[in-house]
Amino acid sequence: MAEPGSPPAAERLSREMEEAGFYHEAGLNANWSGSRLAIGGLAFLYGAFVFSYFYLRSIDSNGRWHGSGFHPPSAGYGVLIMLLVLLSAGVQYAVLQRIKAGHKVDWQIGGAVALLFGLAAVGLQIVELIYLPFFPASSGFSSVFVGFYAIFIAILLAMMIWLESLLARSRFIPGIAFVEQPPTYAEAFTVQRFQANLSSFTALWNFTAVMAVLFWVLFYVI
Amino acid sequence: MAIEIQPGADRMQPAGPGAGIARPWWRRPAVHTGIVGAIAGYFAGFWIGKGVITPNAAFSTGLSDVNNVPIVLGYVFGTIGWLAGLGVFNDLGRSMLGKPLPDYQYGQPGGVAKYFRYTLDHKVVGIQYLFGMITYFLTGGLFAMAIRTELLSPTYHALSPSAYLMVMGQHSTMMMMMMSSVILGPLGQYFCPLMIGSKRMAFPRIEALGFWLTPAAYVILLSGVLWGGFPTGWTGYEPLGTQSTPGMDSYYMAFGLMGISMILAGFNIIVTIITHRAPGMRWSRLPMFMWSMFTVSFLQVLAVPVLVGACYMALLDRTFQTAFFTNTLGGSSYLWENLFWFFGHPEVYILALPGFGVVTEIITTFCRKPLFGYKVSAAGMFGVGILSFFVWQHHLFDSGINPDMRPLYMLTTELISIPTGFIFLVAMGTFWKAKIRFSIPMLFALAFYFNFLIGGVSGVFLSDVPADVTEHGSFFVMAHFHYTIMGGLIFAFMAGLYYWLPKMMGIRLNEKLGYLHFWTMFIFFNSTFLPLFAGGLMGMPRRVFEYSRALQPLNDWVSISAFLLGGSMLIFLINVIMSTLFWRERETGNPWQSRALEWQLPSPPPPQNFERIPVVLSSGYEYGDPEAPPVADLNPPVGVVSEAYARVEA
Repeated sequence: MAEPGSPPAAERLSREMEEAGFYHEAGLNANWSGSRLAIGGLAFLYGAFVFSYFYLRSIDSNGRWHGSGFHPPSAGYGVLIMLLVLLSAGVQYAVLQRIKAGHKVDWQIGGAVALLFGLAAVGLQIVELIYLPFFPASSGFSSVFVGFYAIFIAILLAMMIWLESLLARSRFIPGIAFVEQPPTYAEAFTVQRFQANLSSFTALWNFTAVMAVLFWVLFYVI
Repeated sequence: MAIEIQPGADRMQPAGPGAGIARPWWRRPAVHTGIVGAIAGYFAGFWIGKGVITPNAAFSTGLSDVNNVPIVLGYVFGTIGWLAGLGVFNDLGRSMLGKPLPDYQYGQPGGVAKYFRYTLDHKVVGIQYLFGMITYFLTGGLFAMAIRTELLSPTYHALSPSAYLMVMGQHSTMMMMMMSSVILGPLGQYFCPLMIGSKRMAFPRIEALGFWLTPAAYVILLSGVLWGGFPTGWTGYEPLGTQSTPGMDSYYMAFGLMGISMILAGFNIIVTIITHRAPGMRWSRLPMFMWSMFTVSFLQVLAVPVLVGACYMALLDRTFQTAFFTNTLGGSSYLWENLFWFFGHPEVYILALPGFGVVTEIITTFCRKPLFGYKVSAAGMFGVGILSFFVWQHHLFDSGINPDMRPLYMLTTELISIPTGFIFLVAMGTFWKAKIRFSIPMLFALAFYFNFLIGGVSGVFLSDVPADVTEHGSFFVMAHFHYTIMGGLIFAFMAGLYYWLPKMMGIRLNEKLGYLHFWTMFIFFNSTFLPLFAGGLMGMPRRVFEYSRALQPLNDWVSISAFLLGGSMLIFLINVIMSTLFWRERETGNPWQSRALEWQLPSPPPPQNFERIPVVLSSGYEYGDPEAPPVADLNPPVGVVSEAYARVEA
């Protein structure tokens, strides 16, 4: 390490600070851009299922969009799973305001509740798929239903893993750091990275909740 | 606030699983542990599918008379095992435990071994992609040789009908998978940070994961041969796909994995270009190759999820007995055709646009002139990208589209020739009155324009419904897309390789062999594919291993040309191997006297690309202007970067 106070050391220090700050800012922006871009990509994936739904429904091939003797999926499961996802996103979004005010523990409790709701939705969705009242190949509807909810489970699970890692990371950040500038740049950067990550998660999780409602309308309402 | 010399230095550990840890090589995550994981995963998945799920599930019997569940689960678990063995999930585990992730470290220790690891350095990933894609290309090329061997005679057969279809399917799918990444992978990942003045990519883990999915897709696709292959070619058309033998599973799985890889690569490039540009690298100064990468990446992130979704649906049809594509059970085979081509037509431009980006970079350097119509060129790329989402139904002109819809899609398809024309116009304007240096990259670039013109004009011809109905399914169509893809993309790839390999490796490819490679490739490429337009017009159908005896002389000519074209690839391969391993003619400077930012660095670039964050001062295309400022200040005084960045933020 260079001698403190000597001009080259001071310049090197300034330069390293400058560079670290530059890439730190770039990283925060990358989080924002990445999450919005991911929403775009996921929208096209969901779009493939929405297209399949309306395409098969409109052509009603061999009269088997529903088919004879069709038993719809359990409305109870459908409402419950959709509400759990919606509640999970809502709770997480609500307590997000608390962490911005420096109440980290409030967010941790709310985040844990959101995690439990999300995992419960995953569990219930698995149970629903196991005990479906129709065979996957029995109709166009059943195919789109099974196909969509199987992949939706994977997406929900991935989101819950992300939330769990945020909860785990938050344990090592003092609550005060969310409202007051931490004493070192390293700590400040850690807090800002966490906040950017949390913001990205929130955007994606809220989008997922909207999709849960949309597909609930498709499969259970219309 | 306390000041640290290195912010985050307490966490500054060598990046990537296993990097920098003093363990014997065989205990570090790398390809060998990946292979162990893949084998273990495959057998675990196969066993779960055969022993646990199938006996207990109602769907074990249904549409298909073959139980594909064990095979597909074997592929899925094998892929997960491969990634786990490589150490891809290590950081995820750390994150779930709340441990901080190691910071990005510039450069990777480990010599040659780093190329066999899950490595976070974009330059290493670029080289990994390079050799990975060359392997894909050579394998697909061998299948092409087998096809042309069979077509030497209409009556004597080297392959059975089913073997011919298998070889055809492997060739086409492998080539399409490879072409999607052949420029975006090696050149895009390697040069994106260098061309925008960054030291790193935005998401290096995602970048590395994108590459390591490609070997898995390669092995899975090839494993289809063990199951008898698949008869659908690269389009995987239904209902043939659902009715096919287990080899079809390998197609859906491999294409799906490659799709995920494409999405990840595109995602990373978009975010990097938006957020990691050096101060002064305005959008109006962005190199044209980066504009092409940016446009293509959007196509990948938006169009490829539909392919991944479609492959997933097809696998569900074949395993868990859904009926997405089975007409009698409420599905529709046309659903696949629509989903596939919604991806498939943007895919055509995912293949074409990177080529345009590469050759645009090259022609300005070798014409020693500013790029004519910079904004027009960027607009042309965006125009092609946007329109490519609105043309997919032209692939169904002859396959069940409502006839009233044909004129609309004919129009949109013809419209796309306008922004494509912009890009040609830019090239012609740049060539105008230029003193062109006919070096090897420039020759390949010129050949690109020549070949793509033939491919493009025949494409406009085919976009007309009457012409398409007549030539659909013939060798005319096959010749058309080989002119655009091989004549376009592969020539551009070669141009880029001869141009940038000295930068990537600090070694120049042998010039004599390079010229020999170019002329043999150019002559035999045209000698192979130009006659096929005639073959198509005379009624020779695609994907059929027998043909009219009257067409044998033409086919023999084509086959011999194809073998010679394969020979020209051998010249290239020999050149790469000999130049990089044995002759090693060093090239550390700027052999082309290029103004581009990446050429202002030593070759190969230092571990952290730029010693300091550069400040870009002017465009890289201002050739011939003695008043033009240098392209960048590579050693700006302290505070300039912060000020420039603060201005942008404000």
